[in-house]
Amino acid sequence: MKLSITALRRQLFASPLDGLITLLLLACSGWLLALLGHWVLALANWKVVASNLPLYLMGLYPAAAYWRPLVLMACLVLLAVLTLLSPRLPRLAVFRWLQRLLPWLWLLALPLGFWLLSGGLGLDPVRTRQWGGLTLTLVVTAGSALLALPLGVLLALGRRSPYPLVHHSSSFYVELIRAVPLISVLFFGQLLIPLFLPSGWTIDRVLRAVLSFAFFAAAYVAEDVRGGLQALPPTQREAAHALGLSVVQTVGLVLLPQALRIALPALTNQLVGLVQNTSLLAILGAVELLGISRSILANPQFIGRYLEVYVWLGVLYWLICTTMTLIARQLEARLGAGAGSPSSG
Amino acid sequence: MVRLLKRLAAVSLVSLLGACAGGAPESMSRLDTVKERGELQCGVSGKLPGFSFLRTDGSYDGIDVDICRAVAAVVLGDSSAVDYRQLSAPERFTALRSGEIDLLSRNTTATLSRDSEGGNGLTFAPVVFYDGQGLMVRADSGIATMEDLEGRTVCVGSGTTTERNLSDAFLAAGVNYNALKFQEKDQVASAYLQGRCESITSDRSGLASMRSGFDDPSAHRILNAVLSKEPLAPATVAGDPRWSDAVRWTIYGLIAAEEFGITSANIQAMVNAAAADPNQAAMRRFLGVDGGLGTKLGLPDDFVVRAVSAVGNYGEIYDRHLGPGSDVPIPRDLNSGYRDGGLHYAPPFN
Repeated sequence: MKLSITALRRQLFASPLDGLITLLLLACSGWLLALLGHWVLALANWKVVASNLPLYLMGLYPAAAYWRPLVLMACLVLLAVLTLLSPRLPRLAVFRWLQRLLPWLWLLALPLGFWLLSGGLGLDPVRTRQWGGLTLTLVVTAGSALLALPLGVLLALGRRSPYPLVHHSSSFYVELIRAVPLISVLFFGQLLIPLFLPSGWTIDRVLRAVLSFAFFAAAYVAEDVRGGLQALPPTQREAAHALGLSVVQTVGLVLLPQALRIALPALTNQLVGLVQNTSLLAILGAVELLGISRSILANPQFIGRYLEVYVWLGVLYWLICTTMTLIARQLEARLGAGAGSPSSG
Repeated sequence: MVRLLKRLAAVSLVSLLGACAGGAPESMSRLDTVKERGELQCGVSGKLPGFSFLRTDGSYDGIDVDICRAVAAVVLGDSSAVDYRQLSAPERFTALRSGEIDLLSRNTTATLSRDSEGGNGLTFAPVVFYDGQGLMVRADSGIATMEDLEGRTVCVGSGTTTERNLSDAFLAAGVNYNALKFQEKDQVASAYLQGRCESITSDRSGLASMRSGFDDPSAHRILNAVLSKEPLAPATVAGDPRWSDAVRWTIYGLIAAEEFGITSANIQAMVNAAAADPNQAAMRRFLGVDGGLGTKLGLPDDFVVRAVSAVGNYGEIYDRHLGPGSDVPIPRDLNSGYRDGGLHYAPPFN
């Protein structure tokens, strides 16, 4: 999409009426921008954001170990930037190696990140109740997404299984979860599970949240993957069968790779939704990004600075979600998603 | 063979019952659980200025938080051995009943139905802050009494006693009003500031802290009308007298320390003086020099010394968070000691 003066003029000033509308809209948006700029630069007091930055990013993580979540976040940002830039990097051997390594680096970031946050193996252990802010939001998102994907794939395969028990129980699970609001699943996980457990037993609060999100998201992932599976022509399965592949090989080597590629845009959608849904945990008293912000707002030094805090939160969430969408789009391009389906975008 | 089987069955049944009884002995109090764990799990709001909030350095602070710290200092000897759980209003009692927290110190109004077995089944500790529901209006609105609110809109937080008190008081006064309900305090405040309602109702402490955050605090007035009694008290789960006694007498200790004139600054001198002077019988008992009062509660004898050294006496706690020099000044009024016309009064330490 190239912009040129003539093209602009043809589109925006084709007739006097078009020109008038263009000018009016320009004036309106300019006025709004000026208002916003005036508020951001002159009226807003950003001290509430600046002096609480560690809290937003890391919550109540011990100050002596701040470097650990910071290293993790720096790694994630670096990986994201590399991934986004990788098609535009000069064609050198080093960079080609890097491109091949990137998926493995992403996978490596997870156990490494978990080790950095929770400690052990030479690092001081830090309990999950001290995790908070952006770190907790990312941990809950990554943890539940990683659990939800295999679970969802299993459920999708289960729904297409010829065995009635597997088929019906998978369908029942998916229909049940999809009929229940997320907030009630979370309430169940955070409030009722501890009531049912025998006294003395506890399940970590963060783990409960991750599991609640994972079980919930799995039902939706299952439907997206099922959509992908159904888009495949039956000849694929028949051909694999004719080649003498076993059922496991057929599913693993032929059906799933294609189905997941087709389902990728829908799965990205789920992931972005998941990030935003983690903010529901604030209602349950967790100190993730939104929860910690509301505690900061209760500090008498910062009473009434809602607007600044919520604008800052909006920017943070927007950055996270946009980065994820861009990476997913890259993945689609690389996998040639849509090549086998009519919905190429 | 049949007899043998029967005997085997009987033996296994008995041992199973024994195992059950051993697994959950009735004498196991929360007090022992906390000591064993080495950490107090304390439920706080985390979102109420002056009572519990997050400081810039990531530490919790406020009156409610100091109660947690005092109990931790008494039971565990370390006022920082507290795991704070932030709880919202609807989930606080479930968290207590499920055992997720040991102590609820979250600006909770003590009421009959929350106390009773048929209700929430709590045991309330002594009142930490006597509050009352009030109404705030804009100073230039000309509203001076509750009756002036006829036909106007009042913003209120839903699901709390605040909502019920509002309708009770206005029904009794025969005043018609519109209630605009919100889940969270900050939503109530911003709705009021945006002019969506003429008045806002909440605990007077909440109104005061809200007002100090407004751009022009003097433009808003808290009416004299008090719609309710709101004695805010920490709570423990019912049916565990050892644990609730430990919490109760820790708080009485803070109140009595103010009556005795004992502060965090002079407490060591007071202990030394009492230890040296056998005539200070009451002081010696109170500070645990003799009498063994703490032992009776399952606490160290010097539990008051531990509490006051950690957080100061009740007056010090109040001044630190709500006193005239604090960020959220609220006049002490009812929250003074009984000698100054307030309601705080500790039973004798005998």
